[in-house]
Amino acid sequence: MISLKALSKNPLKSLLIFSSITIAVMAIFLISSVSQGVIGMYSKMIKTDGDIIITQKGISDTFFSNVDIGLIQKIDNLEHVASSYGMIVGASPIGHIPIAGIYGTTANHFPHYKLTKGEYPKDGEVILGTNLAKQFATRSVNIGNKRFKISGIFSSGIGFEEGGVVMNIGDAGELFNRSASFILVSSTSPSKTDEIVKALSTLSSEIEVKTTQNFVKEYNQFKIIKNSSFVISTLAFAMGLMGIASVMSMIVNSRKEEFGIMRALGKSRLFIIKNLFFETLIMSTSAYIFALLISIGILEILPHIDMLQGYVNGTLSLSTAMYVLTSTIFMALLGSLIPAWIASKTDPILLINQGCA
Amino acid sequence: MIKVSNVSHYYGKEQVLFDLSFEIKSGEFLFLSGESGSGKSTLLSILSTLLKPSKGELLIDDESVDKIKNIDYFRQSKIGFVFQFHYLINYLNIYENIALAALDDKKHNINEILKKLGILELSSRYPNEISGGQRQRVALARALVNEPKIIFADEPTGSLDSKNSIIVYELLAEALKGGTTVVVASHDMRIEEYATQIIRLKDGQIL
Ligand SMILES: Nc1ncnc2c1ncn2[C@@H]1O[C@H](COP(=O)(O)OP(=O)(O)O)[C@@H](O)[C@H]1O
Ligand SMILES: [Mg+2]
Repeated sequence: MISLKALSKNPLKSLLIFSSITIAVMAIFLISSVSQGVIGMYSKMIKTDGDIIITQKGISDTFFSNVDIGLIQKIDNLEHVASSYGMIVGASPIGHIPIAGIYGTTANHFPHYKLTKGEYPKDGEVILGTNLAKQFATRSVNIGNKRFKISGIFSSGIGFEEGGVVMNIGDAGELFNRSASFILVSSTSPSKTDEIVKALSTLSSEIEVKTTQNFVKEYNQFKIIKNSSFVISTLAFAMGLMGIASVMSMIVNSRKEEFGIMRALGKSRLFIIKNLFFETLIMSTSAYIFALLISIGILEILPHIDMLQGYVNGTLSLSTAMYVLTSTIFMALLGSLIPAWIASKTDPILLINQGCA
Repeated sequence: MIKVSNVSHYYGKEQVLFDLSFEIKSGEFLFLSGESGSGKSTLLSILSTLLKPSKGELLIDDESVDKIKNIDYFRQSKIGFVFQFHYLINYLNIYENIALAALDDKKHNINEILKKLGILELSSRYPNEISGGQRQRVALARALVNEPKIIFADEPTGSLDSKNSIIVYELLAEALKGGTTVVVASHDMRIEEYATQIIRLKDGQIL
């Protein structure tokens, strides 16, 4: 087939197109995956053990929220409530690590963090996430201005948590000067959730009660991450696609002479366009597949890079992959076929001469 | 077989051909001579349908070129070209280059023609793997493969030494014997001895 010959006989040119498409597609994948991954991880962390979240009224960020932990006793007495726990989420230097997550929780939530070593923390003790534990060989660690004994190591599968420490909510309360950042409540059955939300709302005038689903949807931080990642990935996408289209049109322009010769030999416009179509299709599809594989590889490795402490995580959704595939091929075809079509309308001899110039 | 009436051509505002009218008869060896820049290539391109003249009309076998329905098929089946530079496709080997130009029912001619031009053993080489003289013979083979009624050659020996030039002239003369009309544009006056008709151009006009 003539398209394959054209590609294989000009390896340098083919490599140029191939690598620029690959890089463009990879940039799109990695940027959008990482930002999606961050959101996904955060939502997973909040959603794991609760259907309802209680935060301080009028506070947009859980970091500033302060809810009275004493409410838990009243909450547990409500109908259809299966369990509830309080949580403080903060960040602080830990030992020599400049910043890491701190999760203070009521003891009934400890089982969420699977121990791989040692035991759950008592007052004045912490357990370290697997990723963070790699940084410490000591038996105790400084957090804020206090020294905590390391009682164990845990794993939870959530990058944020694995790079942080878990302690009793009382200790975290002293560090961050609050009672609880939020309280998570789980219901006995999903159908009762709305009923519980209503009942909880009457408990105090200083709290805001939402289903975790709604919370994740409306949470400002997510909105900001989502919007900015949307802007960044759209830009990466647009730039990548423009790059693909312009590389393709450059290549086509450099082949005007060849098209002129073919036209002079009596080859139809359709013949030229058809061959270029297949060339472009082969090139962009294979570059896409290559980029997809590399990206999946990188996303696979990212959570295991010590320096990132597991904070950077990425998930590549099928819909993103399909969307990028179609737009890559579309733009590559656009970039190659439009100039080729215009060129094929020019008098053959002028094409040949333009090609020489 | 080709009738040129009142053809003028402009590149932008610059007029390079001035109201030319003449006729090429079947079986002729026409030599378009003239200095560089006199308009030979432009005229040859118009004659061979590769360039639309700004003004005037070109009739081939009494039919206006503009009215030819399938110009691609017309070019492929009726016309052969040889350019100064061989213009072979670099990613196709010699055989494939000729096969690209060949009509389906003429593909069986390829080996015969290659043999006749003494380049059969080059079939599987690529254009950059053979000499300039050999390339020009391949270009000629490509022009002859469909047994066209007419062959156009623009400075076909412009990049060849005199030994190879003579070979090309002889091959064109042979095509003429086989009944093909030949039109050659060149500033090489040695072609005169092969020509049956000569048109001298100067500044876009026939002398
Ligand atoms: N594609 C072009 N664009 C503009 N001017 C051209 C082009 N091709 C040829 N010319 C001009 O037209 C004139 C005739 O050129 P050409 O037909 O190539 O003559 P020849 O083949 O006799 O050397 C020259 O002055 C040349 O500069
Ligand atoms: Mg010329």
